[in-house]
Amino acid sequence: MKRIIIDREKCDGCLNCNVACISAHEEGSNFYTVNLGSVDSETRNFIKFDAKTGYTPIFCRHCDEPECVLSCMSGAMEKDPVTGHVKYDESKCAACYMCVMNCPFGVLKPDNKTRTKVIKCDFCEEKQDGPSCVKACPKQAIEVKEVSR
Amino acid sequence: MKIVIIGASAAGISAAKTIKVAEPDTQIVVISKEDSIHSRCMLHKYLGHERDAKGINFVHENFFAENNITWLKNTTVVDLDTDKKFVRTNDNQAIYFDKLLIATGASYFIPPIPGLREAKNVYGFRDLKDAQLLDSECKTAKNAVVIGAGLVGMDAAVALLERGLKVTVIEMMNGIMGLQLDEKSAEAYQQLFEEHGAEFLLSDKVTSVNIDEAGKGRTIHLASGKSVCADVIVIAAGVRPSFDFVEKSDIATKNAILVGDDLQTNIKGIYAAGDVIGISGIWPNAMKQGKIAAINMLGEKLRYEDRYALKNTTNFYGLTTLSLGNINPKPKESFDVLIREDRNNYQKVVMKNGIILGVIIQGNINSTGFWQYLIKNKIDVSGIDKDVFDLSYADFYKVDSISGEYLYAI
Repeated sequence: MKRIIIDREKCDGCLNCNVACISAHEEGSNFYTVNLGSVDSETRNFIKFDAKTGYTPIFCRHCDEPECVLSCMSGAMEKDPVTGHVKYDESKCAACYMCVMNCPFGVLKPDNKTRTKVIKCDFCEEKQDGPSCVKACPKQAIEVKEVSR
Repeated sequence: MKIVIIGASAAGISAAKTIKVAEPDTQIVVISKEDSIHSRCMLHKYLGHERDAKGINFVHENFFAENNITWLKNTTVVDLDTDKKFVRTNDNQAIYFDKLLIATGASYFIPPIPGLREAKNVYGFRDLKDAQLLDSECKTAKNAVVIGAGLVGMDAAVALLERGLKVTVIEMMNGIMGLQLDEKSAEAYQQLFEEHGAEFLLSDKVTSVNIDEAGKGRTIHLASGKSVCADVIVIAAGVRPSFDFVEKSDIATKNAILVGDDLQTNIKGIYAAGDVIGISGIWPNAMKQGKIAAINMLGEKLRYEDRYALKNTTNFYGLTTLSLGNINPKPKESFDVLIREDRNNYQKVVMKNGIILGVIIQGNINSTGFWQYLIKNKIDVSGIDKDVFDLSYADFYKVDSISGEYLYAI
């Protein structure tokens, strides 16, 4: 399967990945028009930073053994047997947030506006040329690679 | 090989899925007393008319056909023969198996209070059938009484309020969701429920129920001397593992079906998973148990080790809470109890000697999944030079260089 491989050392916290992610999930939006101040603008990837650890990219791993899928009581989270990616079906989701609790890496979060859905990486599956965050990273700190599973 | 699974909720379905992925040629028979697959955690959405029965199904519509699984619905198992390896159903079929998984869950319990068990308008809130019965009561009922303010009771309350009933919740403890919340976080929910019309009678308990000529419980008497009128009563006072059908067999039980670390019972080839084994009552753990039991039925030797069960998330009226571990430590003085709050958030961490024992995060629960890992693995955070509330997975970041998956650096 394809996974976004992270090189933490290369990340300098520019947050272009965040902007690209928000823009990719906002209809008709692009780098120039994206409204970062909107409550609807939610990034699916995160860069944590503090003085000690520096910049740490937190991106959904689409885990081989996804805890979010195992904790999902509605069937909204599912690992695609073909792509290996963990897909999220908003229409099935009951917003119980067991997946938020069970993701050991703290990747998942409720949506800010309504708390009725989960904000989750979809690997930009509708885009022909792969995840928008990867394309936007000026440092190649994140790259799509084929990994075995 | 032929595997029979009794029960079609979290553990049973998770096992069936696992087997079909690992060894698709395995013959599987799933026996369930219900005629539809549904997630009991979504019953409030059904009763509140937010979703229909299809909408609370947690598998694909044609799950059994797609996976070539035989499904005996509306069927209960009445007997188990461990020597000849078959189960007998209520319609007198003998279903033979090579391996058996018992995933029959639990049933609600009606406390032996005079009038309560006899009353015809008392319902649990456990299966779709319960929600359907409540649904038809809701068409005429005006006053609903919920006995028990745990998660199930509050789920029922939220749906009944949605249906426009007057809802009174009776609870023995002095706060709602006493296993998941502390005083402060419980009050926040109580206030929300009250704003939506609920009334609470806390630190009180039902002593008797008066029954009318039609056999319905109408007046509920409490230890405090108060009384409440009811058209419909929901009992949410806990559950008991259901395993009646093994009682004549040599399966070892003690209030639950006993299993080893491999989730096998004392009888070789017979496994059990989910609420029926009585070691945790939450969905993610039942799913994991079903998965592990399935893998072991296929000949592996996995152990059920991720046993941590003191965990929950709550989402009522858009107020979200994560609660983990020991959140109401006693005596308070011998623990470090740290609190951080603002007008939208309440956060509490219970620690001892650098080990986090309990956490409540109410309000913003973004990216809080790492807390469970820290608690269940008893990770010492005293060496990390930062405010405990600022911890995140970044403090434990590590990547597997081959797979790119995250690990924990500890």
